[in-house]
Amino acid sequence: MTRLTADIRSTFTADGAEPFTVDAALEVESNETCVVLGPSGSGKTLLLETIAGFHEHTGVVTANGTDITGQPPEERGFGFVFQDYALFPHMTVRENVEYGTRYRESSRDAAELLAELGVAHLSERNPPTLSGGEKQRVALARALAIRPSVMLLDEPLAALDVPTQQALRDDLVDVLADVTAVYVTHNRTTARAVADRIVVMQDGRVVQRGTPEDVFERPASPMVARFTGANVIDLSAAPSLRRILDDDIGSQARSDGSGRGPVDRDSGTDAADHVAIRPEAITLNDADGDLSATVERVVREDATSRVTLAFDDVTVEAFATSPPVVGTEVALSFPRDRLHPC
Amino acid sequence: MATETERRFEIAAVGRTPLVVAFVVVQALAFAAAYSVGQPTWYAYFIVGSTAVTAYALDGTSFTVATATAGSLLMVALGLPLFMFVARQTPALVIEKALDPDVHRVLYLGVYGPLLAALLSLLFGVPLAHLLAKGFSGQPLVESLVDLPLVVPHSVAGIIILFGFGKGGAFPQFSVLGTMVGLVLAMAFVSAPYAVNASREAFEAIDDRLEYASRIHGANNWETFRRVTGPLAVRGMITGGVLAWARAVSEFGAVAVVAYSVEFFYPFAGGTVTAQHAPVFVYNTYLQGGLEESGAVAFLLLAVSAVIFLLVRYLTDDGTAGGMP
Repeated sequence: MTRLTADIRSTFTADGAEPFTVDAALEVESNETCVVLGPSGSGKTLLLETIAGFHEHTGVVTANGTDITGQPPEERGFGFVFQDYALFPHMTVRENVEYGTRYRESSRDAAELLAELGVAHLSERNPPTLSGGEKQRVALARALAIRPSVMLLDEPLAALDVPTQQALRDDLVDVLADVTAVYVTHNRTTARAVADRIVVMQDGRVVQRGTPEDVFERPASPMVARFTGANVIDLSAAPSLRRILDDDIGSQARSDGSGRGPVDRDSGTDAADHVAIRPEAITLNDADGDLSATVERVVREDATSRVTLAFDDVTVEAFATSPPVVGTEVALSFPRDRLHPC
Repeated sequence: MATETERRFEIAAVGRTPLVVAFVVVQALAFAAAYSVGQPTWYAYFIVGSTAVTAYALDGTSFTVATATAGSLLMVALGLPLFMFVARQTPALVIEKALDPDVHRVLYLGVYGPLLAALLSLLFGVPLAHLLAKGFSGQPLVESLVDLPLVVPHSVAGIIILFGFGKGGAFPQFSVLGTMVGLVLAMAFVSAPYAVNASREAFEAIDDRLEYASRIHGANNWETFRRVTGPLAVRGMITGGVLAWARAVSEFGAVAVVAYSVEFFYPFAGGTVTAQHAPVFVYNTYLQGGLEESGAVAFLLLAVSAVIFLLVRYLTDDGTAGGMP
């Protein structure tokens, strides 16, 4: 039961690299999973490593209100799962998992953990002989063996193939349910699956924080919208959509006297340049809709198709269970409560 | 005409070890034949020609043939004198020297002194190598100092040591001139860079994240070094130690200046004896007894060094090195 806060404001310099400034704050409640989401080079791994105590910094990290900024990593009681596993190659799987147990008063049984994660049969093997998924399960077991107060995970699924990612992601959801965790990823699917709250980073700064719904449905900027997979529509290039939205604002203003429409409910501006909407929110109809669009491309995905549609000077993506024919006209509906200015 | 695939298949079918053994045997026979007819020059031509033919047979590209041929010219320059040196030994003289107690002392000192120098280089060089691998401010200055012995003429190194630790040096009451300490110091001065640099490369090759993983799971710096960094770098340290030892065995200049002749404990005599470091002894024998006599002592030193070197290589080889099987 650990509440973690971190407020990092530091410039880091690696050999031969440009100095990089991280200016980011996190607050993670007990047993909550905070996902740090951002593109490569946004500083999310650096932030995680700084929370772990690997880098000196000018900032403050607290655990349950106690300032642990000056504590070395070995005294923090955290677990860490690395993207590239970082298993000790000269030790067996069992020795890897037991590595930290001698330093902790309370620890978990290595054999039991390996069995829970489905890799008990590998206990006497050496890490270089394991597959990526097996290695990451062992790395997860090693971190869990010390009963960490906080789990720090740096893109643990990034180096794995898709089926292994899905299987391990399911395990992670279970594992992270009852531990405070900070999970760094650039994968929005993973973020949505494991997050209780999300912090989006860009260029070393936090650009949005909130629940998964906040971030995915109400992105704070076009960058966040694009990164989370939403359509970003430039209204200056989509006059037909702007007209519809203006009409909505007008009619709502007339009905409630507020002068504000549904689209600008959060931003408080009537003149947003961009609106974001998730692909799954847009519906395709044969006849009635807000406007007409041309089908430009259809890509089959698992149980549905991703359809690229063009209207005015913009394109948007939507999902359809029965894909339309490329080149045909379809009617699009934009649920007003899913449109968000950004 | 064989295609590339067929050629590779043929090599795979034969195996690399028999090929290498066959090549060495053919070379030895060719040298023996050329030497026995008094025409060792013919063997020089044979090395170049046989290497080019072998390269063509194994690879077939003009690039490989050209590089192998150019490389074989260097091998002639390095290898032919060695072959001639071995071939021209007088067995009776070698046996006589091998039974000479003075030579025993020289050979003992020639192995034991460098061993102390290598251990000294590792004892203080490994911590320095770890620091250099991690990086610190002022590092280029320290790096230059570490590498200085590689470029300083070794007789100059000897003079520098005497200025530092000889009469009137840093410890006025103690002089290393003509002592075992001086001998080891002179050897360590010229061999430490090998121990430091090999260890440093080994530390640099270790992913920082392994150390992070060790620390975050509870191990402090000392424990991390003992359980992770040290074991992963140990092969590099041994390589550094062997290189330092080999360099110290061959050291002449600095030793001749600092410790021309030293007194040391010789266990086979049960007391202290006086002897010279092997290269100095070989040089003295050459000046006093000529090429043949000094060659016999040099041959013994070469044989002892080669046996120890191969033994260490064998003991530390994990089978991952490329090249020769």
